[in-house]
Amino acid sequence: MTTPLLEIEDLHARVKEKEIINGFNLTINEGEVHAIMGPNGAGKSTLSNVLTGKPGYEITSGSVRYKGYDLLKLSPEERAHEGIFLCMQYPVEIPGVPTATFLKHAVNAVRKHNQQPELDTMEFLKMLKEEGKKLGIDSEMMKRPLNVGFSGGEKKRLETLQMCILKPRLSILDEADSGLDIDALKVVAEGVNSLRDKERSLLVITHYQRLLNYIVPDFVHVFADGHIVRSGDKKLALELEEKGYAGFVKEN
Amino acid sequence: MAGLVENISLIGDEIPWLKALRRKGEEAFLKSGVPGAKTEAWKYLKPKELATDDYVFSCGGCSQKVKQEIPFSCYRICFENGRFCPEGSFFPEEIEVLPLIEAILTKSSEIQFWLKQICDLNKFPFAALNQKYLNEGVYIHLPQGFVLDKPLVLDVHTSCEDKNLFSNLHNVVVLDKSSKAEVVEYYHYDGELKSHYFNNVVNQIFVGKGANLKHIKFQNEAFKASHIAFSHVLVDEKGLYDSFCLQRGADLARNESRVILRQQEAECVVNAAYKIDGWAKVDTTTDVEHLAVATKSHQLVKGVIGGQAKGIFQGKIHIAQDCVATEGNQLHKALLLSDEAEVDVKPELEIFADDVKCSHGAASGELDEEQLFYMRSRGIGYEEARQLLISAYFEEVFALLDNQDISNWLKSFL
Ligand SMILES: Nc1ncnc2c1ncn2[C@@H]1O[C@H](COP(=O)(O)OP(=O)(O)OP(=O)(O)O)[C@@H](O)[C@H]1O
Ligand SMILES: [Mg+2]
Repeated sequence: MTTPLLEIEDLHARVKEKEIINGFNLTINEGEVHAIMGPNGAGKSTLSNVLTGKPGYEITSGSVRYKGYDLLKLSPEERAHEGIFLCMQYPVEIPGVPTATFLKHAVNAVRKHNQQPELDTMEFLKMLKEEGKKLGIDSEMMKRPLNVGFSGGEKKRLETLQMCILKPRLSILDEADSGLDIDALKVVAEGVNSLRDKERSLLVITHYQRLLNYIVPDFVHVFADGHIVRSGDKKLALELEEKGYAGFVKEN
Repeated sequence: MAGLVENISLIGDEIPWLKALRRKGEEAFLKSGVPGAKTEAWKYLKPKELATDDYVFSCGGCSQKVKQEIPFSCYRICFENGRFCPEGSFFPEEIEVLPLIEAILTKSSEIQFWLKQICDLNKFPFAALNQKYLNEGVYIHLPQGFVLDKPLVLDVHTSCEDKNLFSNLHNVVVLDKSSKAEVVEYYHYDGELKSHYFNNVVNQIFVGKGANLKHIKFQNEAFKASHIAFSHVLVDEKGLYDSFCLQRGADLARNESRVILRQQEAECVVNAAYKIDGWAKVDTTTDVEHLAVATKSHQLVKGVIGGQAKGIFQGKIHIAQDCVATEGNQLHKALLLSDEAEVDVKPELEIFADDVKCSHGAASGELDEEQLFYMRSRGIGYEEARQLLISAYFEEVFALLDNQDISNWLKSFL
């Protein structure tokens, strides 16, 4: 049997003394698409942040193995080099850094790690233009400072664009669909689907079953109170849509 | 073995007015000495080490000019170890460019007129000291309506040796009515890294009616050197003095601009940036005096401070009585890269008129963790991400430079 791409075992993590992730288990094999659904504040974004190495989280117990190695030892940039990508729920605005400049640094950092030659400005811009077109991103937007003043939908498109050009092995989509209009949702989903193959895996966090019509998951998990309370196939998403989370969440 | 005050023989000591100016400078300096914590205007910088270092004065003729690439087309006036260097200097014939001492010898009354307009030396100890040694520097005079087609670079280079060179440059820049120029001061060095050389500079700048001077300065002195500069600027009706100073080097540095908007609708921009590390103390001091109606001033200063360095900003806006319809804005922002980095800020507003628009502000912070993480999560290494954010921080002030070549050149040193 091949090593799973990601193996999370009994993970506990806290922020500022508060335990958010408690006893979380999940295994993702190559090529699989997993969806996570769960109420607000359940800890979904926290999990994404822990997996990508954001500072400020304390792992109190458990393990995360990626391609068989201890993921938690790696810096955020090393995780990115190894093919982990987080499509953020709230992409960060960086005034003063043109979007294209940022993307070029990111692409070349990953290429360098993979011992590929860095792209020069011409090559990079050509590639950017082609990929941008697929996602309906205007090349004028690339000259603007990163995410500054971008609409919610534009930010999400740009996240998807980054995913498409960085070609990660494991993509975590934290509410990639929030703020998207119906057409944009299709475009983004197409972008994501274009990356699907038997080596690449997806972890899709969403509140809406609708996204899963486009990005069809192999597994659906219900995440509440810091861990998975139930797992199933795509039909579980439909059930949740109908009944809500009552019955999964502890009574307060 | 020498201190800051020595009796060295200078050209022109037989000229009475010159001798009197030099003596006046000496007296004013001796009265105050090197200012320390008790002198309000110098309380943050406290340049007391200048009083104890051992100096040599610029010696002999000019040595061979070390050719330094400047990546944009320009005119050049070269100084090497505090001495004017004809070799390597070139400038258009339509404007007057003379070594200061030559101007003193050949255009006595004209240069005297300008030199005597320096402010009260009792309040400016280093300008006083500079005047004691009045000799080196350049006199630049643009005739009425003349538009200089390329930037004029004052290329001030020090070849550091184990001795600490002490030089006093004094430049006089005069723009007649409606003339226009871009002047770049560039301070740089080669050789012995730990040299404690000291450049003490005074610029006297006169922006005539409707004239427009862009004054860019790049201070990139050796990292144990000292650099103290004072620009005294007078702006006439509808004249524009548009300045930017980047300080990157020196252990102890001060760039002080005193801009006097003395006729109506005179305007100035006094922007600056500094990026410092180690134990450097770098001071930006401004004093904008609105002495006439409808005058305008704008100041944006951004600093990035690492290590145990200390950034200082003292900014004053003075609006005299009856100077209505005046506008003065000032903003200082600093980014602290380490726990031991320090910033001292002293803004001062003195407003004696009604109907004025005035604002000032100061902010300091650290690199944004969220931004840093965002970049790293896309594979950009920690150091590279920091560099990108630092450049981004400066972008706000660099964006205000309209000469892209100069802007790119300066940015390449950040
Ligand atoms: N830095 C922090 N300090 C304090 N509490 C935090 C911090 N980060 C997250 N939390 C808390 O942890 C809990 C989980 O937050 P998280 O953002 O992971 O939820 P989520 O499942 O992504 O919710 P949503 O569906 O609304 O996006 C919340 O109660 C939140 O307030
Ligand atoms: Mg969330």
